[in-house]
Amino acid sequence: MSGAASFLALAGRRIAASLLLLVGASFLIYFTIRSAPGDAVDAITPMGTPPEIKEKLAAEFGLDQGVLGGYGVWLSRSATGDFGESLVFAPGQTVMEVAGPAFEKTLLLSGGALFATVVLSILLALFLGEPSARQQGLTGALYFITSAPGFVSAVVFSAAVNAGVQRFVEQAGHETPAWYPIPIYSDSIVPYFFAGFVLVMGDGLLMDTFNAVRAEILGVRGAQFIAAVRARGASVTPHLWLNLAIPIFSAFVSRLPVVLGGVVIVEYVFTLDGAGYLLLEASKQRDFPVVVGLSVLFTLAVIVVGLLSDVARSVIDQREVARDG
Amino acid sequence: MTVKWSDLGLRLSGAVVVAVMVVGLVALVIPYDPADAVSYDTLLNPPSAAHWLGTDGQGRDVLMRLVKGTEAFFLPGLMGGLIAVVLGGLAGAYTGYAAGPLRSALVGLLQLVDTLPRLVFIILLCTIRNPSIPLIAVVAGLLFVPTVATVVRRKVEALASEDYILAHIAHGFTPARILLHHILWLQCWPLLVRQAAFVFGYVLFVETGLSYLGDYGVQEPDPSWGNMVAQVKDLAGAGAWPWLAPAVAIVVTIASFLAFGNLVARKGEEALR
Amino acid sequence: MTAPLLSIEDLIIEFDTQQGRRRVVDGVSFSVGQGEVLGILGESGSGKTLSTLSILGLVPGRPGVVSGHIRAHTDAGEVDFLAELPSVVAGGTAERAYQKDDRRWQRIVQRTMKPYWGQFATAVFQNPKQSLDPLMTIGRQLDESVALANPSLDRAAVRARSVDWLRRVQLHAPERVAASYAHELSGGMCQRAMIAVALAREPRLLIADEPTTGLDTTVRAEIVGLFKALLRDRRRAMLYISHDIREVLFLADRVIVMRHGKVLEETSADDLRHGRGRRHPYTASLLEAADLPVGEAA
Repeated sequence: MSGAASFLALAGRRIAASLLLLVGASFLIYFTIRSAPGDAVDAITPMGTPPEIKEKLAAEFGLDQGVLGGYGVWLSRSATGDFGESLVFAPGQTVMEVAGPAFEKTLLLSGGALFATVVLSILLALFLGEPSARQQGLTGALYFITSAPGFVSAVVFSAAVNAGVQRFVEQAGHETPAWYPIPIYSDSIVPYFFAGFVLVMGDGLLMDTFNAVRAEILGVRGAQFIAAVRARGASVTPHLWLNLAIPIFSAFVSRLPVVLGGVVIVEYVFTLDGAGYLLLEASKQRDFPVVVGLSVLFTLAVIVVGLLSDVARSVIDQREVARDG
Repeated sequence: MTVKWSDLGLRLSGAVVVAVMVVGLVALVIPYDPADAVSYDTLLNPPSAAHWLGTDGQGRDVLMRLVKGTEAFFLPGLMGGLIAVVLGGLAGAYTGYAAGPLRSALVGLLQLVDTLPRLVFIILLCTIRNPSIPLIAVVAGLLFVPTVATVVRRKVEALASEDYILAHIAHGFTPARILLHHILWLQCWPLLVRQAAFVFGYVLFVETGLSYLGDYGVQEPDPSWGNMVAQVKDLAGAGAWPWLAPAVAIVVTIASFLAFGNLVARKGEEALR
Repeated sequence: MTAPLLSIEDLIIEFDTQQGRRRVVDGVSFSVGQGEVLGILGESGSGKTLSTLSILGLVPGRPGVVSGHIRAHTDAGEVDFLAELPSVVAGGTAERAYQKDDRRWQRIVQRTMKPYWGQFATAVFQNPKQSLDPLMTIGRQLDESVALANPSLDRAAVRARSVDWLRRVQLHAPERVAASYAHELSGGMCQRAMIAVALAREPRLLIADEPTTGLDTTVRAEIVGLFKALLRDRRRAMLYISHDIREVLFLADRVIVMRHGKVLEETSADDLRHGRGRRHPYTASLLEAADLPVGEAA
């Protein structure tokens, strides 16, 4: 098989596998919905919902049929992006209308935070080099600080920022910024940077990524072929980049689910209207279609990113193609 | 003087782990009536002899609430860790050893569960069923089964061709005994310890997170480290102890459990080599 | 008599281990003439690899002491590699002690040795599949060497020369090999490719460190034969390190025998082949083990 043809075949297989994953994961979600005790419709709607709406919901979610049949009904609607309408949060609007823009914001925030984490990890790994007794104090301290769950970091951080801003405003008589005091809903972009910072520094993300990145860098640097390259006076840089591209990209991709988990609470603390905040608000208000729609979107995001990374990896690493082809 | 950092870390984190365990057990038995603790004479007192960590916005002793707050995550955390490690270990051993359609199905199922973003799924679950903390912990443990299974599977695959395993087979041990006793128990215990500690930390994170958010998790007036941290919104800078103390407790506990798990695992792996 | 291409004098390498300082290379001296093949015969742990890796500055780990001279006759004139490496010990003695951690040692060595790598010497190691970049085609790695040796050539000419080199190392369908990756080739093919990459750099000295280890028996003989053919024109010298006395006898002009970090004997390969002259008992035992005539034992 020529290179291009085997690549397309591989991509096709991966896409098929991803679709299968999506179907399976969405089934798990649907199954959970159906597992609600008592009458499913009552469980998923807020008190005081008029009966017509309950009926409509039951139809949309296939609640009158068996689990598999109902899943089919629900899947065929959801596959087109139709998750129904928001019940409470933004009545009248479809779930996609509400969730779409929010999700964009969340992806940007998560992607940005993850990118910053990977860059920081690389810099830290290059700076620290091999693990040694001397660095353990520094790495230990970093572990401790960054293992804090996102909401704790967010709370402590915003309290500190609030206190600092308050003092700053009182002493120097400056204007209070639009986003003060945290949390307060504002259009400013500054809270996004705060959120990004907290995401990087919480949930153990930084040190976990750092460990993985450092192991990869040292592994490649110490490889025999790198010594061979050096020994013939050639530059090791292109070889290093080529061999590190996949592992670092994998480090990025494999941690997206973790960041998506952390972003939910962080968005809430900083009142950023992203998908995480939306998920929590809709959950509080029992706006069920929104919650389900967002769950599927989050899962889809993880699957799509995984697929893209798989395909990108196959482009660079021909060994994958050979193994599966 | 070279400080053996790993030993120091082991001792420090181990001390915290033991302390949390003790406090957790103690919390289960000592009585506490949250309504009783409210006292309008002692609102937001700083630490004193009577109240070592001060009092909160309703005059309740912070230290007592801190101790009682471990109830919410202690047993659930252990449970979640146990579920993840037992089921994950068995699944990993099976998928590492067997071949055939059942194995493929199991691998597929594990991959499915692994794809779900954990916190998002938990919030979905909360919206539908409003579950108790123990149920959430069970679900969290289940969500970690694929992670544990993958780690164990790799180890089993690596060990399966080792000479001494082949010798065991020649001696007539059944595959089940070799897998369960020799590989899983004797060789994989460091991995499992590390994973169990991680899941415990995750359950703590989920419980305190949900309690912080307010609608799920532990509701006021029952104490949870999460809803104690949530008081920061009401206090608005009037006092730090009531929310800072539980925040520090959360960070110290999670960090210590993770570090302890890692260090014990590393020592175990070195010993096994 | 022309000056030797490379001469190692009183090389001592010690490592700081948990059990204390271990001397791994203990006062080794030998030289290689222009276009000559020197065989270094010894078992594992004899210090043969380290002595020769030190020429390329590829000594791994953290040496406690490196002393002696490694004199090379390079394009830039006579150079003593060890003298070039700066003294890092305060109060500088004749010994250059590198008590610092690995990274600094590596950086110092790299900075010092860089001008000589490739141009003076290149190396072929054992485990050929590990010596090639798994993510680059063979052709691209060859192009690297060719381009460095011939900076004036354009890309097409470089690629043509790479393919030519693959042909010279007796690889079938050289264009296809050039487009392949290391994992697609057998061990023998990889080693041939590796030899091509090393020689395409056109060094004055080729260091081969147990190049046949890990290869099948028949392939081993082919690789040894390949070396013989490629070096027939005597344009480059070779240091051939091996524990296999037959390979060394087949390829080398002169042979040194090493054990426990010392050179036990230095002789011409001819004398060894024909059992002439007095033999060190260790050499005699190696010859006996290989069913070769021993001659007089010392």
